[in-house]
Amino acid sequence: MSKSEPFDVCIIGSGAAGGVMAKELCEGGAKVIMLEAGREVPHAEFLSHRWPYELPYRGLRGEKQAPFYQGDISKSIAYADSDNVGMDRVRVLGGRTLHWNAVTLRYAPRDFKEWSLQGVEEDWPLSYEELEPYYDRIEQIIGVCGNDDHLEILPAGKHYLPAIPWRCSEHILKRATSAMGIPLIAVRKAVLTKPRDNRPPCHYCGHCMDGCDVGSIFTTPDCMLPKARATGNFTLRQNALAREILVDREGAAKAVSFIDTQTRAEQQVEAKLIVVCCSTVESARLLLNSRSPKYPMGLANSNGIVGKYLHGHLGNSVSIYLEELRGQRPSNQDGATDHVYIPRYNHLSGKSDIAGGWGMQVNYTSYMFPHHAHRLPGYGSSFKQNVRKMQPGYLQMGSFAKVTAVAENHVTVDAARVDANGIPIPVVRFRFSENDRALWKQANQSMLEIFSHLKGNVFSSAGDAPTGFASHEVGTVRMGKDPRTSVLNSYCQAREVKNLFVTDGSCFTTSSEKNPTLTIMALSMRAADYIKEQRKRGDL
Amino acid sequence: MDRRALLKLVALTALSPRMNALQAAAACDMKAASATSSAPEYKLQFFSEDESRLLDQLMEMMIPADSHSPGAHAAKTNLFADMMVATSDDAVKQQWRDGIRLIHEEATRSSLAEALRKASDNEADPKTDLERFFALLKQMTVDGYYTSETAIHQELRYLGNTYVMSFPECTHPEHHDP
Repeated sequence: MSKSEPFDVCIIGSGAAGGVMAKELCEGGAKVIMLEAGREVPHAEFLSHRWPYELPYRGLRGEKQAPFYQGDISKSIAYADSDNVGMDRVRVLGGRTLHWNAVTLRYAPRDFKEWSLQGVEEDWPLSYEELEPYYDRIEQIIGVCGNDDHLEILPAGKHYLPAIPWRCSEHILKRATSAMGIPLIAVRKAVLTKPRDNRPPCHYCGHCMDGCDVGSIFTTPDCMLPKARATGNFTLRQNALAREILVDREGAAKAVSFIDTQTRAEQQVEAKLIVVCCSTVESARLLLNSRSPKYPMGLANSNGIVGKYLHGHLGNSVSIYLEELRGQRPSNQDGATDHVYIPRYNHLSGKSDIAGGWGMQVNYTSYMFPHHAHRLPGYGSSFKQNVRKMQPGYLQMGSFAKVTAVAENHVTVDAARVDANGIPIPVVRFRFSENDRALWKQANQSMLEIFSHLKGNVFSSAGDAPTGFASHEVGTVRMGKDPRTSVLNSYCQAREVKNLFVTDGSCFTTSSEKNPTLTIMALSMRAADYIKEQRKRGDL
Repeated sequence: MDRRALLKLVALTALSPRMNALQAAAACDMKAASATSSAPEYKLQFFSEDESRLLDQLMEMMIPADSHSPGAHAAKTNLFADMMVATSDDAVKQQWRDGIRLIHEEATRSSLAEALRKASDNEADPKTDLERFFALLKQMTVDGYYTSETAIHQELRYLGNTYVMSFPECTHPEHHDP
């Protein structure tokens, strides 16, 4: 086993949280090493612009995104006693910032106060006002397009890039929602609509989720790591799969033991401070696999909370083929996937028995494939003609609804089940609550109600039961006010291990209906500021 | 320079109004389209020649050529099916083997057109093995045809998967919220 010189900070994971942390700490003068379990996929290797007929299975078996799921990451997980949920874990430099739609929404003040306002779950240990300066800063660094729509439920920044223009179907949808009194706004996305920071504006190819080959969408490798490298303080170690965090006699974190996935050799890197940014499932897995005489239940887990409170988003999708656009001449509708967004509105009608709400993303699926061809009955000439004529009217909508955080839903590890490197894999147990099911039904009904105000063929993809988590899982190493029900303080610092921080989605206390990435980055930046301050004072 | 590299250059030089790279990209696109026609001949991996011929006929009946564009036969959808089934698990392979046999037997009793009609009888709620095979056949035909070069460019006349400098927004006042 080889050892390196000690670093000031070791960051594990290079996604949204790790990228911010690396940039901020390197710029603050810390010597930082980042461990990433995957390797870099350069733009030239992206398959985003490949035609289906240029791919082995026409893209139907996930070939376009396969470079982001390296090694055995897709297989090394188990589900036990679970509803229909899936954990979208990628393994690649940049993490899920290479594989996201870039919808970038701030949490609202009320989203931090579920207990105070709704009498459910717990309040966060920090307020919107405390996080707001970090939302401002991160939005300016990554570049967010959109507008200030003056909505209490969706606070806005002051430095947005111009919003993306709308498609015909989105204007038609706006006509319907306006008549219903439902707000519909330009989406806020971390996609450039003007050149910025040596990154070109979006070229509207619709491949946001497959890897942006010019860097218009925010990713860690395109936006954060160059800034970290420019300081001369940054070291990147790819193909480095963290096995466990090691502690000294006093119980402080002292090193990370990792496997080089190319050579299978085990190595260690020492650091004065360790920041875990591996994503919700993997971060819990790493802490639970880091057992020692001092921490027999896993690192920072003396209260047994690590791995608990797994939650995320409920998913639903409905599409309509608008009669008004039937038979129109084909046009390029790809765009930047979502161009509009319907913010939560169920709270406007007063107190409800059901906690939480949903937001609706619009048109985030591909325009190349006529999805309705699978749903239209019949075959032959009329079928073919119908598919063709309906295609220009395609309008798709998906709701993302809150899931309640409860301790019974958790990630554990099982020493008997290991991955290709001999590391115990995560085992997920998750059941939707009554509240989740009721909210899911309401969200689905709401989408159908909106579509009932439009003329066209409607296809619902909702089955009989909810699914989760739409790649938005959070909450397994939560921050909180109460040390009995949380692991971290409001700066993402482990209460038990002062030189250990966890800043990815696992640190969330509760979830709202908003996509979590912007909040992950704001929390990571706030934690970085705290670390810099503490280091200056000699407390870390 | 291939088309993809050129189109990427267009995006990266989006601020250069004098660069007429989009035209160059279009020319490159035509070149790329003609180059793809020289693919090596596909060899069947799962279906027999007879089965593949039958599948070809069925798929062309599902999505036929018309005055607008070629159909499933020209798109070689049967060869796509062969590749997909050949790389599926044994249960899927057996479904296809049995399904092809069933529809062939039905066609022998009447005609291929009648067999397909009968198979499609209860599409929304299939009850027999033949009807269940119709769902499988349709899914494969739709997947294969609408991901083919023929369907994307000739049938749907899809204009995307490219690099544009601005998004062609809706300019129809009648679509807008008054």
